[in-house]
Amino acid sequence: MPRNQNKTIDKLFELLDQLGAENTTTLTSVRLPTKLRDALKLGVELGMDESITTAAVQAAHLRLEAFAQRLALESHYERHPNLRPTLARLAQVAAELDDNPIAHQPSLVKRAASEVVSLKPDADADDVLIYAAGLRSAARQAS
Amino acid sequence: MASPPAAFVLDNEAVQAALDEHHPKHQALLEIIEVQNMRAAKGHRAVVVVPVAARIEAGWDRTDPKTANASRVTRAKDHTLDTTAANEATALRRKPDVQVVDATVAQAAMAAPKPVVIVTSDTKHMKKLAAQITGEVRVKRI
Repeated sequence: MPRNQNKTIDKLFELLDQLGAENTTTLTSVRLPTKLRDALKLGVELGMDESITTAAVQAAHLRLEAFAQRLALESHYERHPNLRPTLARLAQVAAELDDNPIAHQPSLVKRAASEVVSLKPDADADDVLIYAAGLRSAARQAS
Repeated sequence: MASPPAAFVLDNEAVQAALDEHHPKHQALLEIIEVQNMRAAKGHRAVVVVPVAARIEAGWDRTDPKTANASRVTRAKDHTLDTTAANEATALRRKPDVQVVDATVAQAAMAAPKPVVIVTSDTKHMKKLAAQITGEVRVKRI
């Protein structure tokens, strides 16, 4: 990774880590699609968030945190390629974390992981679990 | 019905696993973080917290540059002990065989949004503590 990009990433994490510790805000002009602004206004009225600003800030914060974490994970795997989990393992772990009964059928989860990618090459662990549920349902109907 | 966790609480062993890529549980910890990250990218927020007592026991000094990677990969936030939390942890510790750090882990799970997953190698003791907490508390072995 280029050195200046590493510096940018360092700065990104520095700012995210400092976010909770400070209350200073900056007035920023953001051009929103009109329909989105109107929908946000209604969402706030219905109790989604305290204000449009809060809704927008929280959404941006969540996206940035996930993005920054992704960068850190990919950087970690660049240094340690053997640590990158397989799709099957991620699906199994997701099932266990969710208390999903399919976690007790690891061979089904493994089969789902290998098959689902032919339908959806960028399938993630949740896609695998839905596919596995389909396989289980089909097996029950057949028996 | 299966539902994604809203929070993860890391115990001392999970923190040690996060700090050291050669730790035998490091990959298991990464798998959990990967699932959390995948869902965060799709808009499902799940906080990762580490009780400060667990962090201290594991030796995670956030000012040490060598621990920066653990912070970046886990995005784990400190769960601190105020008066109320300390009282709750003390009450949990009154049960037999409950260590101070375990009580703070359970208290962090108590305070976290539900469903919460306690990430630990000591599932036997954590399950006993989890049974005392209101709401859905799951225990994941690493």
